[in-house]
Amino acid sequence: MFWAIDHTSPQRLQDQVAASVVRGLRTGELSVGEQLPPAAELAGALSVDRNTVLAAYRQLRDAGILEFRRGRGARIATDAEAGPGDLTPVRDAVRATVDLARRYGLDPSDVITLVKELS
Amino acid sequence: MTTTAYTGRATNWTMVAVSGLLLVPLIGLASSDVDRAFVLVVGLALLGVLAEVVTASDVRVACGTQGVSVHWGALGWPRASYPLDQIEDVSVVHVPWWAVSFGFWWTPWRTVCTVRSGPALRLRLRNGRRVTITVPDPAAAATALRSVS
Repeated sequence: MFWAIDHTSPQRLQDQVAASVVRGLRTGELSVGEQLPPAAELAGALSVDRNTVLAAYRQLRDAGILEFRRGRGARIATDAEAGPGDLTPVRDAVRATVDLARRYGLDPSDVITLVKELS
Repeated sequence: MTTTAYTGRATNWTMVAVSGLLLVPLIGLASSDVDRAFVLVVGLALLGVLAEVVTASDVRVACGTQGVSVHWGALGWPRASYPLDQIEDVSVVHVPWWAVSFGFWWTPWRTVCTVRSGPALRLRLRNGRRVTITVPDPAAAATALRSVS
């Protein structure tokens, strides 16, 4: 699975790690029952603290997306739900936002900047 | 600053099962011999299957700012790590079916851990060694490595 963490983002690192797992689940990069990399391994690859990854894993466990098994690490829970599978409402809203931004003389990259500022 | 990484795990339980089944005729041959030899052969066969499951059933890879770390088998051992400063070049290669190592394979010039044919990640180290590893998405792994190096 491909992971990307923005160290300059105002969003907490653990939230970004958790969001990456959810995105992986939604895009099919991760499947139910699949084992996630050990926290130390992922932390090393992403240059973040091990506790950050552990916090993200715990956050996902509490949300019912991950399950921990003794000696077998973290796995995608069998009843994991990554949210609505159909992105049509989100896509429509983004399209409307981009149209509105164009009317105000902004281009899509400005919208992305605005979204990053607000999230 | 954005940090990218890739993690993946490739398995081939079919090959473990097939190689286990290949031991059946061996056990059959031994069963015609005296009891002691039979026990010895069965013991060795089970030991072989166990060693294969533990060390060669799958390969787990993490590519990122620390370089590449590879863990083989169900227990994550043996393991190897290749820091970024040791990696000269990264590429995606196609491993033909006749060149699959089905586990850890080491020679003075090459390290191979391929559990299936098809695309694989290849590292060329600064000391000249070539390392070929099966990963689910070698292109993503190469992208992650190139972006951090």
